[in-house]
Amino acid sequence: MVLNFTRRQFNLGLAMAASSVPVGSCPALAQTGRVVVGVWGGDYQTISQGNIVDNLIAPTGLQTVFDTANDTVRRTKLLAERRLPRGSMDVVALTAAGSYQMYKNDTLEELDASKLPNLAHVLPSLAKSYAIPQFFSGRVILYNPAFVKTVPTSYNDLWNEEYSGKVGVIDVQYQATLESAALISGGSVSNFEPAKQKLLELKKMGVRIYPTNESMAQALSSGECVICIMWQSRGLSWKKGGVPIEIAYPKEGIGLFISDLAIPKNAPNKDAAYVYLNAALDPVAQRAFAAIQGNAPSIDNAVLSAELAANVALPDDPGLKMLLPDQDYISKNDAQLLDWWNKVFKA
Amino acid sequence: MNTKSRKSFFLLTPATAVVLIFLCVPLAMLFRFSFNQFVPGEFMVSAFTLENYSRLIFDTYYGSALLTTVGMAVGVTVICLIMAFPIAMAITKTPARYKSLFILLVFLPLFVSSAVRAAGWIVALGQNGLVNYALLSMGVIETPLTIMYTGVAVFLGTLSINLPFAVLTLQSVLEGIDHGAEDAASNLGAKPFEVWRLVTLPLAMPGVLAAGVLCFILTMNAYATPVLLGGPQFRMMAPIVASEVLEQSNWPAGAAVSFALMAATLLLTGIINGYLARRYSYGS
Repeated sequence: MVLNFTRRQFNLGLAMAASSVPVGSCPALAQTGRVVVGVWGGDYQTISQGNIVDNLIAPTGLQTVFDTANDTVRRTKLLAERRLPRGSMDVVALTAAGSYQMYKNDTLEELDASKLPNLAHVLPSLAKSYAIPQFFSGRVILYNPAFVKTVPTSYNDLWNEEYSGKVGVIDVQYQATLESAALISGGSVSNFEPAKQKLLELKKMGVRIYPTNESMAQALSSGECVICIMWQSRGLSWKKGGVPIEIAYPKEGIGLFISDLAIPKNAPNKDAAYVYLNAALDPVAQRAFAAIQGNAPSIDNAVLSAELAANVALPDDPGLKMLLPDQDYISKNDAQLLDWWNKVFKA
Repeated sequence: MNTKSRKSFFLLTPATAVVLIFLCVPLAMLFRFSFNQFVPGEFMVSAFTLENYSRLIFDTYYGSALLTTVGMAVGVTVICLIMAFPIAMAITKTPARYKSLFILLVFLPLFVSSAVRAAGWIVALGQNGLVNYALLSMGVIETPLTIMYTGVAVFLGTLSINLPFAVLTLQSVLEGIDHGAEDAASNLGAKPFEVWRLVTLPLAMPGVLAAGVLCFILTMNAYATPVLLGGPQFRMMAPIVASEVLEQSNWPAGAAVSFALMAATLLLTGIINGYLARRYSYGS
């Protein structure tokens, strides 16, 4: 699915984020009780703790408890608990595809905009009724310039025989990898089937499969892997951390990763969940995710420094398309795609 | 019911209730789930189908994972026993004042969780890890070996986790052996290896079996070590259960794989136990 908005519109949002007059965060009313937030671990949890919880939630009197796991685990939990009157999470962090799937399975609350003052600042192209977009990033190619002498311009450059045995993919990024392969093999964001044959060719070339994003960062550092598909935000933070990589933009288009926060229908403390969601859209929290993780803010009043805004922006190339996953296709095909990935590609 | 029986009944009731409520009931539920149908995107649909079990038989993915798991369990158990026996014998023969120190040394690794120990192995076995650094420095290899995310890494990690259990089990049995029989064999002209083979080993066989069964079951059901050290391409059964349930939300398949793993573990343990009991006739 090619979006009906352009890279310019996206960057316009960032420009607004960089230039807006700071708007004070809406003070939340005094709250009691606790809010259980299902989140990813690592940087994500650390940034959430320091910038959402400590800065914005704790002063309201609410206690925050993080339930750390992968997105897939949280989806399973939501499905398993959907018939219970009280679920175990008040807020759930999901990928955009995950939140769509959970919404279609009737597990997520339709959001009440009147309880989310910061929702007014969300970039219109990212808005949805069942979740707030927390941040987004574009899918790019990371390469080690010491080994990859020609700047990659297409996902197809990963299939270059010259890099045999030095190309890496990430297990948990199977959807992004399949989608990228689909775009260069006659498929599309709504049809990943041609990607299977294309990925088997990569497998024959000795592709390395890393379990997590972090293990990919280590492999890029050691030179074990010299080219991979990754999110721009990760590329920026790894580069900042000394990993010898550069970022290249594939001509097939930039797939967007959007991280959502939603409220389960059976959340025990929905009022507290709204306070958390509103805080996540606060400029303070948004700036932290941009500065530390390189993610682009989902609001127009984040007020980023010019340098940071330029870094997290998508490339200024009018020919480049922005691509969103076809969530309906993924929702219906995710199980068989993961099955193929596990049983055939990884076998 | 006489007083003794009544007392036994009351003493057994709490433990039995806990097992029934927290083990048997969930197992029964899981068994029922294994006959349900998985509809992508919709979790599981109540049904009565054998497709989850038939997939286990006809899909080579599960068969090869089961073979890998059994192979790993047998390999780790054998090497564990070979390594643990001399250590256990040495501890048994250590003077009493040092014995507790040695036992504590065997216990020490158990103070650290298996995930943390796996993290240590990641540091040691990586491309730039300790092992490759040592081998490169000594000139044994010219390019770093790929050890992480292979069966070798899983084998080493699992072996290190199971070894203390095997040593402690064997040591407790060896302590109970009457050393007079060994002395008698020596006096009658048996060489040390013959004494060990013909006297010590048969007498220690219940301990060997207990240690072996423990290692075998722990490896068959290992999760953290295969996931952390084996990486995405190394497959054992317990990580497959977790993947089916947590990644694919496919509870029926996860439940069926669980029962296949449980059945394989029970069956193989029973066969080995029965064979060794007959071979050394200690069961009768």
